[in-house]
Amino acid sequence: MREVYAVGIGITTFTRLEYPLSEIAAYPAMMALRDAGLKDVDHLYVANMGAGRVNHQTGLASAVVDTLSLSPAGADAIENGPASGASAIKQGFMAVASGMHDVVLVTGAERMREVNNLEATEFVATLTHPLAEYIYGVTLPSLAGMFTRLYMEKYEVTARHLAMVAVKNQNNALLNEYAHIQQEITLEGILDSPESMTNNPYVADPLRFFDCCPVSDGGACVILASEEVATRLGKPLIRLAGVGQATDTHAVQEREDPTDLLAVRRAAARSFGMAGLEPANVDVAELHDAFTILEIAESEEVGFFPKGEGHLALERGETSLTGKLPINPSGGLKGRGHPVGATGVAQAYEIVLQLRGEAGQRQVPEARIGFTCNFGGFGNNVVCLTFIREN
Amino acid sequence: MARDIYAYKCQRCGHLHYPYRMVCKACKENEHNEFDPVPLPKTGKLVTFTRLYNLPGDFEVPELVLGIVELENGIRITGQLRIDAPKNGMTVRGEVEVVRTEGYDHHYGMVFFAS
Repeated sequence: MREVYAVGIGITTFTRLEYPLSEIAAYPAMMALRDAGLKDVDHLYVANMGAGRVNHQTGLASAVVDTLSLSPAGADAIENGPASGASAIKQGFMAVASGMHDVVLVTGAERMREVNNLEATEFVATLTHPLAEYIYGVTLPSLAGMFTRLYMEKYEVTARHLAMVAVKNQNNALLNEYAHIQQEITLEGILDSPESMTNNPYVADPLRFFDCCPVSDGGACVILASEEVATRLGKPLIRLAGVGQATDTHAVQEREDPTDLLAVRRAAARSFGMAGLEPANVDVAELHDAFTILEIAESEEVGFFPKGEGHLALERGETSLTGKLPINPSGGLKGRGHPVGATGVAQAYEIVLQLRGEAGQRQVPEARIGFTCNFGGFGNNVVCLTFIREN
Repeated sequence: MARDIYAYKCQRCGHLHYPYRMVCKACKENEHNEFDPVPLPKTGKLVTFTRLYNLPGDFEVPELVLGIVELENGIRITGQLRIDAPKNGMTVRGEVEVVRTEGYDHHYGMVFFAS
């Protein structure tokens, strides 16, 4: 296999965007092409989940490649639910590593605010098992709520720990001009004060409003290239060194221990294994905090902390921006937002920015190894990426 | 007539599956349809639950209680709860009822009550 490098990055603001989905995918691609100093690519992957259902548009990759005047490059759309982004990066990685292509553009985009909040939640709920979950009214927040209740009982995680994740990530988002949520929050306001029940009502108890990520529009892009191209372009050499993916049962109820996220554990182990690294080597990570509990649980499953101790590391401040291992400096899904198809690419965008040392006020000092975890379904299809800065 | 939800027993090795899958998880030896449907028991213990306030648009109720129940035979099932104050570990009894209506389609599923 050949080595694969991230040579260009781009992103849109995550918010409600009033321009077409194909342009949400194309805009960050233009930024990334300019960033890399490229005008052409060999192939393009577009990560997206809801174009057909939410935006009444199919064949998105064909639309995007033409919008960017990149024809006759090949183009495919990749759908793996909320992990579509990292899945598309994996496809790009394989295309370059195999020698089939030298330059591959991976762009992820979603326009979910075209429909109302109920329809957006319903659209994401179509990921669940059609007969064993969906018909009952199961949504992603409800699966997360049931998971959280068990996790709190088993590992003594409290509502305060969950709120601490929300405060940390929303405050990180204030340092990210592209983040959806630009609102400073405090534990007082969302947990302790008499007004907190109004400010922060239950969504799927024990999860409350500020435990859930927003519904966002947005796009992000990463261009992958061979070592020869990367060296010629002269950008800092950021190597995509590890790609790991794993799946778990479709219906959450079937998992032997319902507080385990086995697909996260396995995808991370495969990613670290390929990169020849250990979790302890990581300087900065972007984890899939669609719900606050997931940042805590994933930080354990990927191997940063022992099982059941992620909330203790959070309490000690280890995962904050100035801590030993900053998690979600971008604001995560909680603060940056979660346009489902774009999220995995946006996580990679943040890590490349951090490893280049270009993250401004939220820069993690001397970050050389970065990690992302992109969580599809409720943990039934997970992709983890490991990046290394080489020069 | 009392309705049932079915688990699927592999004809080769006897492993019980819910929900249905086309290849046995345990032996991976069976051909398509080599499963016997077995009615699921109706009583079990509540593993976890949530009270959901942000419902899909076709539910015309303000909230819905959803839970995972471990049935007597060890199979776990997700269902709706009609229990005022659910508690993890409590014993529950299920009945098969309409759990969702989409236009003219009525979907039947397990609804659990305190027993």
